[in-house]
Amino acid sequence: MRTAERLELSKMRRLRVVPMCVVMVAAIVALTATHLGSESARAGFADPAAQPWEQLLLNYVMAAAMTSPVLVAVLAGRQVDIEHQGQGWTLARVAGLGPGRVCRAKATVLGTLLVLVVLVQTVLLVGAGLLAGIEVAFPLGLWVRYALALALADLALLCVHLWLSARIDNQLVGVGVGLLGAFYAVFSLLTPPAVAYVLPWGYYAAISPVATGDGGRLVEATPVYSLLVLFLTVVVVLFVLACRRFDRAEGGPA
Amino acid sequence: MSHIIATEGLTKTYGARTVVDELDLRVPEGSIYGFLGPNGSGKSTTMKMLLSLVRPTRGKINVLGRPVNRHTRHDLAPHIGSLIEAPPGYGHLTGRENMAIVRRMLDLTDRQVERAITTVRLREHMDKPVRAYSLGMKQRLGIAMALAREPRLLVLDEPTNGLDPAGIEEIRELLVTLAGKGITVMVSSHLIEEIDRTASVLGILAQGKLIFQGTRTELFDRSVPDLVVETPAPERALALDVPAVRAPEGLRLSGLGEDDTAALVRHLAHHDVPIHGVWRVRRSLEEVFMDLTGRRGLV
Repeated sequence: MRTAERLELSKMRRLRVVPMCVVMVAAIVALTATHLGSESARAGFADPAAQPWEQLLLNYVMAAAMTSPVLVAVLAGRQVDIEHQGQGWTLARVAGLGPGRVCRAKATVLGTLLVLVVLVQTVLLVGAGLLAGIEVAFPLGLWVRYALALALADLALLCVHLWLSARIDNQLVGVGVGLLGAFYAVFSLLTPPAVAYVLPWGYYAAISPVATGDGGRLVEATPVYSLLVLFLTVVVVLFVLACRRFDRAEGGPA
Repeated sequence: MSHIIATEGLTKTYGARTVVDELDLRVPEGSIYGFLGPNGSGKSTTMKMLLSLVRPTRGKINVLGRPVNRHTRHDLAPHIGSLIEAPPGYGHLTGRENMAIVRRMLDLTDRQVERAITTVRLREHMDKPVRAYSLGMKQRLGIAMALAREPRLLVLDEPTNGLDPAGIEEIRELLVTLAGKGITVMVSSHLIEEIDRTASVLGILAQGKLIFQGTRTELFDRSVPDLVVETPAPERALALDVPAVRAPEGLRLSGLGEDDTAALVRHLAHHDVPIHGVWRVRRSLEEVFMDLTGRRGLV
């Protein structure tokens, strides 16, 4: 691991990043898996027509749309705010680390953490399903596709929030945007897919691999993954360019 | 005398506004260079240019005998410690954890870090979170961060800002200690009394221009001491349009050279103003500073 990334890990101490992630994972698992205890759900655990795994996945999509934008905004805000408050930009610059390099290191470390969060919550949910007694075949492809897409959406939004937090030193702005983003993400679940692609937070809905079809039956949806990849690419390229600009500019990024 | 910092025509403009104007700084090696000037006179911008944090609009900078540019910046950095504007420090971490970050950032040894902590006398507070530090402790931690790399040059921007008299005295003593170790210290302030006793060389900036650079003695030599005229009838002298103010002894006049003094005495005697005595009064350094900076020295 390179110096800048190791420094970010050191700065993370006492920021309560891990407890925050644990709480968010617990919230997602609770929001998603609560229905597994109900009698009606239990009745369909052995019936493929009841689609218990698809139902669990749809709940996961909704819970993630509600919580992930907030988690991303809070993590980015906390990790950047310490630089604004502690004159960290100047400290790093006189040591030869430009603000852009610092932001890229934050993206790497927080991005890794977010991927881990997605992995852990997905495994916990599958485990919860199995523990609850779902007997029908597990649609592995569906879940893996969604977990991957969710991680990519998190990474893209992380870049957006890191840039925002670096530019605006009042972190309430970033968290406020994250909250609005969560609202938009949930709202996008109820709108035609085209609406979801309008704003970055809509991707949390657009990546859903299941949708409610005729008669309330869950059907496999086909998210436009190429759009997600294009979105991620554009965001990453813009983020790298913004970081270069931070490095060239005088003073801090704000 | 070798100069650890030398600039030529150093200028910084933001649009039409010139913040630093044709500065020719000469900071002697091993000195404490007091960089003085009212708030907004361009001290911080100058220091940032010396540290490559701000790009000069024009002019040359030489630090440690090498021109400062993109190519040399990396090589020069380990030899320069700095504290610019507010002291750095992550509030949620302890002093020790902050120093560990600096150690890792600059690839230093534990011994270097421990020595810096000892120098700033912060050892007993290293396990407290920095947000619980007083401003003076934060300043000392900031100086420790700057010192840890064992620099040859230390650039401190207003390190006594916001400190109480005891804190100011502590920083003063620290600067003297550092200079005793052979470190050149460039320290800025808008309050002359904060550094006049510690600085061996002074540079005074006003509206972006360097209006004086030299020793304390040279600064006094530049100023004309006030003239006191002891007379029991000051009102008669004032009625003659003499540019004086009343003083307990009679009159006090500023900026009068030798020939003007002789002419004044002749003028007063010619008009029968009784003169019991005439002497010069040495002005305080602050008065000289205030005159040089156009009475904007204090805030």
